[in-house]
Formats: sequence, C-alpha cells, structure tokens
Amino acid sequence: MEKMLREIRERVLKNIDEAKASAALEQIRVAVLGKKGELTGLLRGMGKLPPEERPKMGQLVNDVRAALEEKLEARASELAEKEKAARLASEAIDVTLPGPERSAGSLHPMNIALQKMVDIFVGMGYEVVEGPEVEYDHYNFELLNLPKNHPARDAQDTFYVDDNIVLRTHTSPVQARIMTTRKPPIRVICPGRVYRADEADATHSPVFHQMEGLVIDENITMGDLKGTLDEFARQMYGEGIRTRFRPSFFPFTEPSAEVDLTCANCKGEGCRMCKGTGWIEVLGAGMVNPKVLEMCGIDSHKYSGFAFGMGVERIALLKYNIPNLRYLYENDLRFLTQYR
Amino acid sequence: MKVPMKWLKEYVDINMPAEEYASKMVMTGTAVEGVEKTGGQFDKVVVGYVVSCVDHPNSDHLHICMVDVGEEEPIQIVCGAPNVHAGMRVAAALDGAHLPGSVKIKKGKMRGEVSMGMLCSGPELDVPAGLYPHIGDEGIIEIFEDVKPGTDVKEVFGLGDDIVDFEILANRPDCLSVWGLARESSAVLNEHFVMPEIAVEESGEGTFDDYAKVEVKDEEACQRYCARVITDVKIGPSPKWMREYLYGAGVRPINNIVDITNFVMLETGHPMHAFDLSKVKDQTIVVRRAHPGEKLTTLDGKEHVLDESMLVIADRENATGLAGIMGGEESEIVDDTASVLFECAAFERANNRVTARKLGIRTESSGRFEKGVCPETTLEALERACMLVNMLECGKVVPGTFDHYPNPAEPVEIDAEVDRICRRIGVDVPAETMEDILNRLYIDTTLVDGKLLHCEVPAFRQDMETEADVSEEVLRMYGYDHIPSTLMNGVTMAGRRNAHTVFADRVKDALVGMGMYEVLNYSFISPRWIDNLGLAEDDARRSAVTLRNPLGEDTSVMRTSLVPSMLFTVANNLNRGNAEGRLFELSKVFVPAEKAGELPTEKRALCLSAFGEGVDFFTMKNIVVWLLAKFGVTAQIEAAGDGYYHPGRKAVMTVNGEKIAALGEIHPDVAEKFDIKGRVYVAEIDLDALQPLEKDFYGIKPLPKFPAVSRDIAVVVDEKIGAGTMLEAIRKAAGKTLEDAKLFDIYRGEKLGADRKSVAYAITLRAPDRTLTDEEINGTMEKVLKALKEFGAELRA
Repeated sequence: MEKMLREIRERVLKNIDEAKASAALEQIRVAVLGKKGELTGLLRGMGKLPPEERPKMGQLVNDVRAALEEKLEARASELAEKEKAARLASEAIDVTLPGPERSAGSLHPMNIALQKMVDIFVGMGYEVVEGPEVEYDHYNFELLNLPKNHPARDAQDTFYVDDNIVLRTHTSPVQARIMTTRKPPIRVICPGRVYRADEADATHSPVFHQMEGLVIDENITMGDLKGTLDEFARQMYGEGIRTRFRPSFFPFTEPSAEVDLTCANCKGEGCRMCKGTGWIEVLGAGMVNPKVLEMCGIDSHKYSGFAFGMGVERIALLKYNIPNLRYLYENDLRFLTQYR
Repeated sequence: MKVPMKWLKEYVDINMPAEEYASKMVMTGTAVEGVEKTGGQFDKVVVGYVVSCVDHPNSDHLHICMVDVGEEEPIQIVCGAPNVHAGMRVAAALDGAHLPGSVKIKKGKMRGEVSMGMLCSGPELDVPAGLYPHIGDEGIIEIFEDVKPGTDVKEVFGLGDDIVDFEILANRPDCLSVWGLARESSAVLNEHFVMPEIAVEESGEGTFDDYAKVEVKDEEACQRYCARVITDVKIGPSPKWMREYLYGAGVRPINNIVDITNFVMLETGHPMHAFDLSKVKDQTIVVRRAHPGEKLTTLDGKEHVLDESMLVIADRENATGLAGIMGGEESEIVDDTASVLFECAAFERANNRVTARKLGIRTESSGRFEKGVCPETTLEALERACMLVNMLECGKVVPGTFDHYPNPAEPVEIDAEVDRICRRIGVDVPAETMEDILNRLYIDTTLVDGKLLHCEVPAFRQDMETEADVSEEVLRMYGYDHIPSTLMNGVTMAGRRNAHTVFADRVKDALVGMGMYEVLNYSFISPRWIDNLGLAEDDARRSAVTLRNPLGEDTSVMRTSLVPSMLFTVANNLNRGNAEGRLFELSKVFVPAEKAGELPTEKRALCLSAFGEGVDFFTMKNIVVWLLAKFGVTAQIEAAGDGYYHPGRKAVMTVNGEKIAALGEIHPDVAEKFDIKGRVYVAEIDLDALQPLEKDFYGIKPLPKFPAVSRDIAVVVDEKIGAGTMLEAIRKAAGKTLEDAKLFDIYRGEKLGADRKSVAYAITLRAPDRTLTDEEINGTMEKVLKALKEFGAELRA
C-alpha cells in the first residue's frame, strides 16, 4: 500500500506538471481527489487494514493528499496567470484608431472671450446688469452729456428708429439706467450688443458687442481705474501685460483716456501686429463726468467714479489671433470648429 | 486735419523729427493719425537748363538735348516730349535716379545716341496737378522760376515736407487750425507761440458803407458777422509758398482770392466766404432764416428746397447762399472779379449742423461750424485775410469794417480745488506745477492760498467749464504715465452674474455638450426674409421695428424670429461645402410696441438647426427634450406648427398648455427660397418661458427594496395614432406602481392590414413597500389595455 501511495504521488505530481490548461488540471483533481477518485478510494479501503496500521496509513494518505492539493493549487494559479496573460494579449487593440465621430461643439469665440471677461470682473466684485438694445436717445446720449446736435455724436454713427429711439451705440445707456435707479456704491458691468452704422470690413461691423464697467463710490480715483484695468489685462492676456493711458475725449468722462495694452504677440518689443509700437489700443475709459452724475441724480461732491468700455470682438481678435472681424459674423463651421 | 510741419514751424519752434513731435502730441491728448510726406518719392532729380535742342537724326520725334545740370559740362539727354526746347528749365532725372513706381533711370543709348538721364513729366514724378502751373499738361515739366541748375526739384515744388495728420476730437475745435495747433504745441513743448502781428494797410478809396450794406436779421443763429471790401482786385495764381501750404493741408489751390479764404480758414479755424461784390444785388447782404419752400442753387449746381429753420445769406429778395455751408453760384469769384466782399462770421453750431444734415451737404466750412467756431476771434481772422491781400498785392483794402456782434461771449472763470483735483486723478501734482501747466495752456491762472486755482478761460477753449475739465488739463500735461495703479478702498461688494445670464450660459453649455456650435447673426435682416417664411398676413412676426437709416434693405428691420438668419447661415455653410452641422443662436427678437414712441419688447429666443448625414427629426427632438430635461422640464408634444415646417414633420411642445418650443423639418419651398438644397431641421425655444419652469433639485427617491416585475404588451392600432401618445396614456393608466414604460418595437405587415401597425411596450412595475401580487399586476395590465383600447387598439394575437 505504501508503494501504491508513492506511485500515485509521483505519477499525479508529474501529470500536474504536464497539465496545459485549467480544465486538464480539474480533470486530474477529480480523478485523484474526487468522490470517486483514486486516493479517496484508498482512504475508503482503510477499513480493511489492521487497526494498528490504520493511523500510520491514514497519516500517509493525508500527507499525499496534502502534497497533491498544494501542488494542484500552485499549478492552478500558475496556469490562470498564463491564461489571463494570453487573453489580455489577444485583446490588444489599435489605440491610434479615432473614436466615434461626434464631439462637443463650442461657444462662439466672441462669447468665449466675453465669458472670460465677465469672470474676471465678477471676481473683482462687479455685478452683471443688462438693458434694452433698442433704446431711448435720452439714455443713449442725453444723460451721457451728448445733447441733441452735439458734434461728439459724430463719433458714433447711429441707427435711428425715430427721433427719440435709436439702436444703442454703446452699452453706456445701461449705466445711465443704473445711475438713475440705484444709490452708490455701484460696481457693475454691462455686456451686450451694440450697433453703429458702419459698413462691415476687416475691423468694423454694424453689430458688435461691448462690455462696459462702472464704479461709483466715495474717493474713487483715476489710479483705481488704472489698477482695475491692469488687473484685467493680466488676467485676460497673462503676466507682463500692462496698460498705457493716453489722454482722450469722451463727453461722459473727464479726464478721459484711450487705454493701450502691451502687445501680447511681441510682449511689447514691437512687431507687425502693433505696428512696431509695442502697444495695442484696446479700450476707452475715464472718470465719470460730474455733469453726468448730476444729471443722473448722484451728488458729485460726495461721489466720484470711473467707467470703461471695450469692444468684445476686438478683445477676441487679439486673444485668438483672428485676422479679420468678418470671420466672427460669417459663422463658417470651418472657423467655428477650431474653438472646440 | 493735415498740417505741413513747415507751416507749424512758422509759429512755434519744433526742434525734433516729426515722428517724435507726433508722439509728444499724442501723449498729451492730441491724436495723430500718421505722419506722411508730400509726394517726393524720388531722388536724383534736379533742375536742368536746356542749352541746346536738335532733332535726332534717326527719329521723327526724338530730340537730342544738351542740359546743364549744375555739373562742369552739360550732359546729353535724348527726350521725346513735344514741348522740349532750348532755353527751358526742366526736371532732369540723372543716371541712377529712382522715380515713383519703382522706376530706375540708367544711362544708355537711344537709337544710337547717348542719353545720360531723362527729362520728366508731372505724372512721372507723381507731382499733383495744380500744385505747379501746367503740371499735368502734355509733355515735360517746365520750371518757370529762375532756379540754379542742379537744385533738387523737390525744393522747387515744395515736396518732401512732413505732413502731420491730426485727429481733432470734438472737445477741441480750436485745434482745427494751424494757430490752434501751434499754440497747443507750444504748451506741450514749452516753447513760445508767436502769432504774426496783424496790421492791415487800407489803401482803397472811401469806406465800407460806400460799397456794401449788411443786415443781420437773426442774432441767434448768426452770433457775429464781420465783413470787409477789397477793390482793384487782380485775380491770378497765389504764390508758391501759399500753394504748397494749401496742398500739404489737402486743399486744392484755385486763385489768389479763394486761396486766401482757404488759407485763413486753415490757419485761424475761421471759415470765410468771398463774394464778387458786383454780382451782389444792390450790394446788400441779408442774413436771415429761409422762407418755407424757398429755393436755392448752391455752388455745386444743386437746387435745394429750404425750410424756415435754415439760415441763409440773401440779397433783398432771394437767398444766395447757405450760411456757413455753401455759397451760391451767382456771386462766385471768377477771373474778371474786380471787387470782393470778405465774410467772416460765427454761425451757431447746432443750427448749422441740422441744416447741413437735412440738405445732405458737408463742406470744410460746415464741418467747422458744426464743431464750434469761436466768435471772439472772428475779426482777427478777417484782418489776417486783408493782410494777405496786402502781401499778395492782389487788391486794395477799403477802410472800415462791418462788425455785428450783439452778444459777446461772457468770459468763463473756474475755481478749482487743488486737493480735489489730486483726489480725482490719483496723482499728487504740486499746486505750483498745476498753476504753471494751466498758464502754459493760456488759461490765466492764479494760485490762491496754495489751495485754490482761479482760472480765467480764454475764449477759444469753449470746452472748459468745470473743475473736472481743469483736472484733465493738469493730468494730460503732467503726464498720464504718472497715474499709479491702485485698487479702490471702500465697501466689499459681492460680484455676480444676473439670473438671466446664468441661465443663458447654462443653456449654451448644455447645447455645446450636445455637439452644437454657437453662431452670431445680425439683429437686423431683410424684410424679404420674413416674407420667405410664408407667414399668414396677420402673423405678429410680420410687423417689425424698421430702421429709419439702415445700411441697406438687407439689414433694415429688427428680427422678429431667429429662423431666417439661421437658414441664411445654414445656406452659407452648405454653399461653402460644409455638408453637415449643428448650430444654435441665442439672441433677442424685437416685438414692436403698440404705441408709437415706446420701446419694443425684447424677448430672448433660441434657435437650433441641424443638417447633413444621419440627422433627422428625432435628432432635433432629442436635443430639445434633453435640453428641457436639464432644467427638470418635461413637455407635451403634438404634431402642429408653423407653415414653414414640413406639414408631416413638425411638432409643438407645451408645458401646462403654454407653448415652449417648436421644431420640425423646414418646408422644401422655404428651404429653396433660402437657397438650401437638402433637409434642414430647426427648433425654436422660448427661453423667457422656459426659465421660470426650471425645477430645483429637491432630493432623491430611496433605492428599491422589493423586486420589480416586467410585462410586455403588443397592440395593433391605426397608423395615425401616435406611439408616443399611447405611451403617455400607458403612463397615466398604470398608476402608482409603474416604474417605467418603454416603446420597444413597431411592426408593419400585410397580415395586419393597410394603415395598421403593431406597437409593443415593455412595462416595469414595482411597489416600494411590498412584493406585487399577480392579482395586482394583472389588474394594472388590464387598466393599461383598456386605456389603449380607447385609441382603437387591439391586443395583438
């Protein structure tokens, strides 16, 4: 019997080593350790042995069983690893193939720029306000120190609906509406569509967008305006971008400034985009004219404020290297899909 | 305004290159468009004296000339011009000369004869016709002055001077003049401004009143009227220096008298007019408003019908000119004009502007009056003109001046607080520096107690009214680069987007996530586009806000629907070979007010479109359904909609009976009108209606503890019955235990009969607190079947 056990042990160990797949291993296990297996049969036949041999033989059989089980388990996990590796290898795909066609779309680049601009000013504590696009002359011009037949109106070619209603030429009438209805402190931005009777070309469009800002409080200075616009320039175009103020004239601000930003293309070194000056004219700004404050019912001795306004399309053109303003209103998908 | 540097330098020292000067002016508030040169884009062209001129032996038109060009020996030049002759002064381009248009002159042989250069015509040197007598005529230029051979031709014509193109803003009409700019420059450069001393030699006979009479009948529109008479006038060309200045400033020289009026306008900013006194009826000038319907033919030959708001210059009976805008034909200066009346007046700016706009005329003169001409210096300008008559010796100035100035301007005085100025500009400018700056600007200023600036504003600075204006003067001269970069103190404020913007941004983000591209279209469209939609005659969208002065018919009415511009955009893309696309526009539409004089209602609208392969009605329907779902909104859908949609492929979506969206395939007739071939799907969503329906997220349902049961049901029904409509009915009928109901199959076949279909639904039932019994399940399914039978459906065998 001992001999038989030894023979079983060696034969089965060898079979286990030679087994090539998990299934074959399972067959071996059943043939030896199963209910009707060889070793189980031997154990069952123990009753026929003399009682004094039984413990020794039982011990032997159990040893063989343990050895085989251990070996089976080891081989099983070895085979499982191999088979997994083989399966993974067979599942390899060409990852360079493109995915399914559809992708996300995109916002219009003008709105991408506008959202960023709004984010910057909301972060600085400004509230977004809106107003009508078809507007009374009173709000668009008169309250802003541009009386009827004032020559400064020439700077803004205006579409008229009738004598007293215009398509707003800037978003400043929203500021006028805010000043006549709210009390300082005021800190708002007014983004929106505006209209000028200009034929469309590479730098003009009869419909475009502006974002204007207005701050009114005690002790507001022109330095605060510069600080605010410096911060905007940094956030919009990156570190190293500064503002340069040039004296100018707007009827609703005094003093007024044209504001240039460091050319983002050459970082101020001078290039073709900035005509070698290192500066790009981007926006207009100034201290709110006390006359405007008074016309809107705000005490100009107690309060001062600043206002600024910028063309969103112009900002987008500079930010996204768009060569021609017309691209923005042609809506050609070959252009729009570049922004996704 | 274009000004030759030479002209400016007569009155102020500018010791720097034009570009540097321009930059200093820009940084102190006088905008400059650019600096250019008056022609002269050539070199090595000198004055030549034709010593001899003989015919070329081998040509019927060429000449062989020996030309003295200032060198030791005359040089030989072959010339083909018919007007070349010995004893003539010419413009000779030497060997190696560069001419305009990249032409290079080289010595060579012409039909066997050596030619060392070329004699030039006006066009070859790009010398403007009219700058010099006979330039532009046939042949080569003849130089009439006795100039030394070898002199650079540019000097002779006054070419190559720097011209500064100033952009004068509306607040500084005083700078629309050489004197004004010289004065401003003197303040900027800290140099002296030296005006010529004005002295007129009155050598004419008699006095003004002997020759003319002026009646000013409207003192509101005519603030000041000054006039002088010149006799013994000799009309002829003005001298070269004057023509050069006029040319550089962009004004065409005409004759001495007209040139003087233009010269004075440019130099002083005062438009002038010269009348041929012999043509002025009764030698009487009346300044009055026009009679209603009065007719007038202006210098340009156009006839105008006037109204009573317009100021005219008239004789005793008829209007002869539009005051400050354009003179009449009758009293024009002509070659044999012998006596002249010079007018220099100040007409009120608003009246001038309104008249010019009404009649659609814009002249140098009207442009200046519109911006404001200072009445204080009107007489000075007239005297300057008479001085020039003396200088040019083209007439005799008659003693006596007519000057009607009933309401002289009150001098403006401003008291400005130093402290407040500093606070406003954010820069601590010392009080004495402020005082100095203001005085340099000819604002007579005294500093009181070191705190207060008492400013006496000169008449030409009509823009200066308040302390804020003073602060700007101080800051621009002190330098905007001194403004510090600070952030305001004071109350912290919460920044935020308004609810409108937040909602719109979320809508856009959702659509972008669904693969759509945002487009921007003009807010005004062609009324024909609205017609193209084929809307009913009484459809509200047919009445639109109309612009009074559109750029063109194509952009003349404000949109009442976003659909036409969307179709236009789709057509554009298809035409450019973009075969598929999904687009959206979120913008306003404009509903006219019922009452005239009120603002239209502006409604936010959203329009979607999809076209190209694999796109159908359901693509668009899904986009709309998903978008509504994002805001927690479920809408009822029914087959209905506007006529511009395909009659069998359109739907309207409603919530609680209120229309919230419409969608469908565009009707082929409408597509054709917009030049679209192929199918386009469009949806319109009323955002103002959608936004209030948005549901807040208010918690979740607990996860189920009891099993669900699934049952399928298939029915045969008439083709006309909507499968979605029946699904809605199932959902209603199944009651509380319904977890889900889905359509999973539609089948059509001969066995079912014509116009019949089989529709199959999968229904899932579950109760939150128990396992459902067979009885309960069967009861529910019977209710479902009963509901379906309402549509005439039969259980499929």
